[in-house]
Amino acid sequence: MSALGGPKQTAGVQPPTAIGIVLSIILIVAALGLAYYLVQMAGVIAVVGIIIGGVLIAFGVHFVPVGGAPAAMGQSPGIATGVAMLAAGAGLAGLFGGAWAAPFGFAVALAGGAVGGGLLMAITCTMVNVIYIFGMGIPAASGKVDKDPITGDTFPEYKSQGTEGHGLPFISWVGGVVGGALGGLGGTLIYLELLDVYQAQLPVLLNTTVEQIAPVAISLAGVFAIAMFLINAVLAAYNITGTIEGPHDPKFKRFPRAIIAAAVASAVAGIFAIGLLELVGVF
Amino acid sequence: MEEIVFGIGITALAGALATVAGAAEDTESDIGSQGDPNSQVQLAPQMGYIHRIFNKAVAGEPPAYGLWVALGAGLAWAFMAMQINPILAIVLGSALAVFVQGVYATTAYLGRTASLAKFGQPVYIDILKSMTTVTMAHAFVAIFTTVAMCHLMISALGHPFPLPLLGLVWGIALGAAGSATGNPFYGKERQYQEQKFGAGVPISASGNIVRYAEAGQRNSLDNGFFSAKLGGPASGICFGLIVFFELWRTVVFEELNIWGPIIVGVVVILIFAIIDRYIEVWARKNFGPYTTPEEASS
Repeated sequence: MSALGGPKQTAGVQPPTAIGIVLSIILIVAALGLAYYLVQMAGVIAVVGIIIGGVLIAFGVHFVPVGGAPAAMGQSPGIATGVAMLAAGAGLAGLFGGAWAAPFGFAVALAGGAVGGGLLMAITCTMVNVIYIFGMGIPAASGKVDKDPITGDTFPEYKSQGTEGHGLPFISWVGGVVGGALGGLGGTLIYLELLDVYQAQLPVLLNTTVEQIAPVAISLAGVFAIAMFLINAVLAAYNITGTIEGPHDPKFKRFPRAIIAAAVASAVAGIFAIGLLELVGVF
Repeated sequence: MEEIVFGIGITALAGALATVAGAAEDTESDIGSQGDPNSQVQLAPQMGYIHRIFNKAVAGEPPAYGLWVALGAGLAWAFMAMQINPILAIVLGSALAVFVQGVYATTAYLGRTASLAKFGQPVYIDILKSMTTVTMAHAFVAIFTTVAMCHLMISALGHPFPLPLLGLVWGIALGAAGSATGNPFYGKERQYQEQKFGAGVPISASGNIVRYAEAGQRNSLDNGFFSAKLGGPASGICFGLIVFFELWRTVVFEELNIWGPIIVGVVVILIFAIIDRYIEVWARKNFGPYTTPEEASS
């Protein structure tokens, strides 16, 4: 029974339909084929990297505990802001770190991106609890589970009357950090793949050296990485529909559908990002 | 060594700028009622509670600040390309971005409030005149400090992103940190000040926001005064810590080992996990449960 008095809401898990999966596979294969046609094998590798990055972002968004407007009134647990926006904030902070570490190699940059996103979420989630506890005198309580799967804390008696819970239980805190880290990892992966493609294409196209075109390549890769981050975060937010408490929320089980959608969206958007310079070359 | 000391100084300055930015951002969004608590400002007239609260939430704080900071950074970047002094260029860029924020605030207030006409909610022109400029002033502080911080990251610390792109990245992060930390304090503690302290707002009370002040009707300036005491500074600390730790771990530990910043980042995350768990347990012990476990489970 929810606090609204209505029937208990189901998780709304809808498995992907057969036609959806077939269409997705066709679009992804077409994108890979087009990538091979435009930039040969380097293009295929880049699109595969972009797809993996997009999938990581969409999956990561499902971990982030977002309570939206009800959380701002202490009516439901989570962080009081939008799903896509919070995930974007964390992922882009990760991208900032990843891009900074790019000259040190692929692995360092990816780890730097993941830690950057996780760090933003760790600080933000802690400050949310600081405000709830020291500013409003409200302890954390989940509305979706009776017991914290990590700490074993019980919640029903800590839920104030007429609410679905409030604050960030430890499982939601962990979910936030994992989500931020996955977002930062995915965003940085997309950035690095696009940077590789642009650094190979631009010197040929403009008849210059790699050093001379570095600012243009970095800017283009950064803009497209942010764009693809937002595409995947918003797609995942549609899948979540409103609020989610983290990995223990029944809505978390909806993620397979978002992963398929993110793979297709990343493949299609990736082709535009890769094919852009070829198009410029034509004109 | 000298380079590291210089980097630490820049890191501290960027952290301080971010702290001011976070505080100004949250206070601005609370005066303009832009965050998630705005749902109640929009809902109140529909429940029969006419109010004098500003209402400009046509976008969330992260995309709005992403736009304004990227705009300020882009213009500052263009002015710097025209060989204008960086400080002057950042001031000019931020000032121009604030005019866009002002137009946004005006049209958003008029549009959102006019849509409530059928519930009897008037559009108060005096509210528009007195509050838009206050939100613009706070927005200027937030945009200027964030753009200045981004400029430091590029010119002093050598981040590869161009200024407008960095403005977009940190503008969105600023909105995310500010709305996450500051919104509950404005939403629960201020809009529902009449409700019990130490408990969430019952869903049945939705829309019944506090509309009267010590003298006369409450307006959004009163809300800014209130949230500037805790919600704003807490948001500032949140964003300041994010920027500081993000830069500090790279500036100081990258020289030792390329994996240094990553290891330190993981350690900082673990420290925050311990702090979070400690205060969570502290609250459960000190505030106690609302009901006995038997009652709650029945």
